[in-house]
Amino acid sequence: MTTPSVRVFHKLEGLFSIYKPPGVHWKLVRDTVETNLLKGINAAPPPGPRQRVQFLAEPTSVMAEGSSELTLSAASVPALAHHPLVSGPEFQHIGVGVGHRLDVFSSGVLVLGVGQANKALTDLYRSHVTRDYTLEGELGMATDNFSHTGRLIERTTYDHITRDKLERVLAMMQGSNQKALLTYSKVDMSTQEAYELAVKGELRPDGKSPPIMTGLRLLHFQPPHFTLEVQCLNETQRYLCRILHEVGLELRSTAVCKGVRRTRDGPFTIQHALTHQHWTSPDVIQAIRQYRSSRKAGKAKHTQPGKDTGTASQRQEMAEEAAVTGDSHRLLSVLTSKAFGS
Amino acid sequence: MSLAYLRLCTQHRLALGARGYATPTNDPRSRELKDEGPVFQYVGKQRKPNHKVFVWGFSYTGALGIPSFVVPDSGRKKPRKYQLTPYRLETEQQISSAACGYGFTLLSSSTKDLTKVWGMGLNRDSQLGFQRTQQDRHKSYDYVLEPSSVPLPLARPQQTRVVQVACGRAHSLVLTDSEGVFSLGNNAYGQCGRKMVEDEVYSASHIIHKMEGFDNPVTQVVCGQDHSLFLTETGKVYACGWGADGQTGLGHHNMCARPVAVGGDLAGVKVQQVTTYGDCSMAVSQDGQLYGWGNSEYLQLSSVTEATQINSPRLLPFEGVGKVTQVACGGTQVAILNERGEVFVWGYGILGKGPNLSESQTPELVPPTLFGRSEFNPAVTVSRIHCGLNHFAAVTDRGELFVWGKNVRGCLGIGKKEDQYFPWRVTVPGHVVDVACGVDHMVALVKSVI
Repeated sequence: MTTPSVRVFHKLEGLFSIYKPPGVHWKLVRDTVETNLLKGINAAPPPGPRQRVQFLAEPTSVMAEGSSELTLSAASVPALAHHPLVSGPEFQHIGVGVGHRLDVFSSGVLVLGVGQANKALTDLYRSHVTRDYTLEGELGMATDNFSHTGRLIERTTYDHITRDKLERVLAMMQGSNQKALLTYSKVDMSTQEAYELAVKGELRPDGKSPPIMTGLRLLHFQPPHFTLEVQCLNETQRYLCRILHEVGLELRSTAVCKGVRRTRDGPFTIQHALTHQHWTSPDVIQAIRQYRSSRKAGKAKHTQPGKDTGTASQRQEMAEEAAVTGDSHRLLSVLTSKAFGS
Repeated sequence: MSLAYLRLCTQHRLALGARGYATPTNDPRSRELKDEGPVFQYVGKQRKPNHKVFVWGFSYTGALGIPSFVVPDSGRKKPRKYQLTPYRLETEQQISSAACGYGFTLLSSSTKDLTKVWGMGLNRDSQLGFQRTQQDRHKSYDYVLEPSSVPLPLARPQQTRVVQVACGRAHSLVLTDSEGVFSLGNNAYGQCGRKMVEDEVYSASHIIHKMEGFDNPVTQVVCGQDHSLFLTETGKVYACGWGADGQTGLGHHNMCARPVAVGGDLAGVKVQQVTTYGDCSMAVSQDGQLYGWGNSEYLQLSSVTEATQINSPRLLPFEGVGKVTQVACGGTQVAILNERGEVFVWGYGILGKGPNLSESQTPELVPPTLFGRSEFNPAVTVSRIHCGLNHFAAVTDRGELFVWGKNVRGCLGIGKKEDQYFPWRVTVPGHVVDVACGVDHMVALVKSVI
């Protein structure tokens, strides 16, 4: 019997993204979201009290009449076994899964899935989608854990660094990463197929590979602060902090990471990520619905030449389509399948 | 003393133990307030980038200039026959021009010091000049394993600068800024621009000939297999040497022992660049037109003629390639670069568009995405192209080196011995400024990033 709580739970089964604030463990975030969703689910009005028929013995006025007949009368009696005050709230635990994790220092898009959508989450996790990060760096310091919260090891000068030199170093790093993309793709380079994939830019590592940056760009440079935009595969946030440290070393100085912010995880961008105030069930239901409709619109755009809504979104679509391998075609179909009642 | 040390240790432990754990006070504000500790300066503000030379390929001829590859330092080490990845070559001066011949290399610096040109590799035809042996002062080394000075007979050695060097199969050309062109090496076909002497012995020869016969100063020299091409200031092309394939472009198939002006379709045309390495020659005019002559057995000039030897320059009109700025031709293939930074290839062999394309009569565009153009870097273009005998090299404006073609004895420098069918990056630590391609080895002039 589907109670209103169960109906709310079904509406909540889907993938959505939240904005994880820095300085808090991802598990805490996941637990908070689960608690809020449970509150929302259990806040649904409980079903009306069920009645059951109980046969009551007729009260005999005369005790010592000696009649052997037992007269019963039917009465509708409320059944209290499933009353929430007796058995507790209907949902005490829901499965909320997390996609690519973020460590305590970082912030940004964190993809969560509820219930049946956790299967799609595993598919998303395994498919080789790329992720976008914005890294804030500061020149002139080196610490033991590559971030500004670590123990200071060395301080260096940075007045010789210009924007041009930084861009040259980034170009060199990007070149070596692009070569790594081709090398780890495990395709025989002497085939025509390898050439065609390389021309389209689709030669990517399929299985395990070390972290590779598919795109690297300098957004903002004001010594000692600078901001990089990175698009990467198979990375960890600590690796990204280490990248900033290595940029500092290449420039004959040192650098630390002041902030790591994930702006995109596969098809989930930061514009639609829910902030702390919106970690409630109505907002989550709306986010799931919005994501599903955008996927449907995306699929429709696939079949016909879509309008250019802007370079950023076009780049995101292109990057998404280029980055997502065969695995995620299955992901797309799972996300928009009938399992979610769409 | 040990007692005092023990006490220090226990005190330290007590300090930790008071709180039960040790938390570093890493408030950035407190760090700024502290402001203690030294600040290291590794590089000053006026630092200029270092210029370096990298070599790779077949080393047994000594063409790489690293003696320990051929004659190891210790008896336990084995000689290194192929250097498959770029290896740093230490040079005394900053090298401004390099050229790779057939088993030898010339490096030149634009310095005013007495030693301006160094050569290494094969010296059987004295293409590196006379390299006096230690034992006998009348004998010259046949294989020079280290960059050794080439004794140029300059009239004003402390004022003249060497602008460019070029190497062919067994001869070399050195271009200076005020004293013209010097040629050395084999002259069996007149490629050194001097009269051929019957039964001349070229090994241990002291002859370095100062070339005459140009009406204007020479601005560029290139060597083919057994012929030489010169470009003067006025845009005129001169040729001398072996002409059986018509590669001299002088209208005949004979040898020529002195530089003669080239006519044909090039008459009156201002040429900006000439190139050759095998038996086919090409030139680009200042208005972006392409001219070719010489061997056409591999479809290099098949777009205008069916003949396999063309002894007079012909205009090669191609649509869709835009204004040509550079051309490079190898033994069997040709590549051009247009002003938009696009590379077109044609000819025979591994052209760079996969294993399926092995010959083409008309220029084929090599997709710019293979040179690193992507949505993150939409403006990457190729700035220089060069050809070895069987391979190509392209340098982009971001300082990356791409190579493709037949990997003859590891000449591509990509770490493996297999052929490469489409452009592949060579990992060089720095910003590649220029590259010289030979038959089985390459030299790259690299600038450090900082």
